[in-house]
Amino acid sequence: MASLADSFLADLDELSDNEEPILDNEDIDAENMEEDGDGDMADLEALNYDDLDSVSKLQKTQRYNDIMQKVEDALQKGTDISSQGMVLEDDPEYQLIVDCNALSVDIENEIVIIHNFIRDNYRLKFPELESLVHHPIDYARVVKKIGNEMDLTLVDLEGLLPSAIIMVVSVTASTTSGKPLPEENLKKTIDACDRALALDVAKKKVLDFVESRMGYIAPNLSAIVGSAVAAKLMGTAGGLSALAKMPACNVQLLGAKKKNLAGFSTATSQFRVGYLDQTELFQSTPPSLRDRACRLLAAKSTLAARVDSTRGDPTGKTGRDLREEIRKKIEKWQEPPPAKQPKPLPVPDSEPKKKRGGRRLRKMKERYAVTDMRKLANRMQFGVPEESSLGDGLGEGYGMLGQAGSGKLRVSVAQSKLATKAAKRFKDKHYGSSGGATSGLTSSLAFTPVQGIELSNPQAHGNLLGSGTQSTYFSEIGTFSKIKRT
Amino acid sequence: MSFLLRTLTRKREVDDIIRDTLDQVLVLRFGRESDPVCLHLDDILSKSSRELSKFATIALVEVDAEEIQVYVRYFDITMIPSTVFFFNAQHMKMDSGTADHTKWLGSFHTKQDFIDVVEAIFRGAMKGKLIVNCPLPPQKIPRFQLLFKDV
Repeated sequence: MASLADSFLADLDELSDNEEPILDNEDIDAENMEEDGDGDMADLEALNYDDLDSVSKLQKTQRYNDIMQKVEDALQKGTDISSQGMVLEDDPEYQLIVDCNALSVDIENEIVIIHNFIRDNYRLKFPELESLVHHPIDYARVVKKIGNEMDLTLVDLEGLLPSAIIMVVSVTASTTSGKPLPEENLKKTIDACDRALALDVAKKKVLDFVESRMGYIAPNLSAIVGSAVAAKLMGTAGGLSALAKMPACNVQLLGAKKKNLAGFSTATSQFRVGYLDQTELFQSTPPSLRDRACRLLAAKSTLAARVDSTRGDPTGKTGRDLREEIRKKIEKWQEPPPAKQPKPLPVPDSEPKKKRGGRRLRKMKERYAVTDMRKLANRMQFGVPEESSLGDGLGEGYGMLGQAGSGKLRVSVAQSKLATKAAKRFKDKHYGSSGGATSGLTSSLAFTPVQGIELSNPQAHGNLLGSGTQSTYFSEIGTFSKIKRT
Repeated sequence: MSFLLRTLTRKREVDDIIRDTLDQVLVLRFGRESDPVCLHLDDILSKSSRELSKFATIALVEVDAEEIQVYVRYFDITMIPSTVFFFNAQHMKMDSGTADHTKWLGSFHTKQDFIDVVEAIFRGAMKGKLIVNCPLPPQKIPRFQLLFKDV
């Protein structure tokens, strides 16, 4: 860490060398500009631990002092409603408000810088504190209270932190690896804490002032969300026009706390709400509707901010109308659903039956389908009398079953189109057979009464039916249908 | 309860309702409000009137009104309550195992029985039949003993 700091410092020394002559020549009037520039540089120089003043320069600037003075005066003067006829930008109060907004952002940045400074210094004493207490102002207060004390039971942190955090801090302090600070370091740290707290107080003053003037600057926005929240939103956004340019989703998140404190569950933390959750409208909605309410509120307040930024409605009527609209919508969401009426029965036989299809149904239907044997028995050859069961035309006719000239003696049950599983099973069982799946009982010869011996191709399917020419009895894939014990 | 159903007291009203109910079964209950069996039947009728509203209309006829006596004589109504079914101005008969097929005597055991009877009448009527079989098992059909008075 030290070597890194050294390398950075080495880089910076070059830069500062170049800027030195320019700095000396600058006018005091332009001090503001250069202070900002210095502020940026001071950011980098914050690694120089020794001097607080080199880190935090804001309180020394002319601009800061001017604005704070004006704010104090204005706060003491009380609410001063200037003439509405004046164009907004010319009004000195408006200018002051704009400056205040920018200043509050600057103060926040300054506080962060100082917080880093304090933290870097205090790390020697109590390194874990920075991960337990996130908020810079709280951190500064705690550091000030603890000072150089090693035993935290002597330090009373009540009121500075929530009790759970105090407990965690005390426990961690008892096992900390830090050592007490040397005297000058301690003094510098305490100074920095004081500086941070003073800046915080100043920021509060500025915000109070902006809030009191809010009704004049942004009447519509403050009609919806209230002047305190409106002031905060404007402060965080950096001005009314900046707020107006933001999309509503960003407005919703302004001021949202990101980090969760150690040990606290994240289940209860409200998701994605910022300053808007302090508005009265939001607080009065039931928790289940809060997400929707927040989105609605952000959208309408963005509209109001846009109206205000162009001074479209100085009376604030638009804001009040929007507020009414929001209130009505939230009430409507809370209405119970209409009572269910019992449905009348449908007219009998008016809805056609839904026919189902699919593999399962087809398989079921196959069991009742007309078999190939029956099909053959139903047909007759032309000019050839059919055989019958009782002979001479009595009994059931056999049709084309077993007719001469067909080449086949027996008709088999056709392999079911869907009996793929069965086929697969028997294919697996053919581990003994070599090539071809013919059983040992099929023969190419057929003995027929008329022609004598007929040669037929056992592979060729007959003309009678598609596939209904394989022997059932000696089928390769057929199973035993019934085995009777005798 | 029976305020949901129309009560008819005039002959003209009965004529109109028979003529004007198209493609729906018309259920006319002949009875009086003081009779407990009639009240039970009315309760069933009113509770099922919304469910059957797509294919049946139900109305109550006060049997004590003078103009209605014409119908009482025509349908030979002696038992209170009696229910007569119509479809497109045709009188529908139902064979429920009792002697009288032209009307339904008494009340029903449950609401579902009544719905079944109306559905059977509707299906038969849509097919063009004038007499249908009762879908209820015999134990659900109220039976009455025929007592001859002064005979």
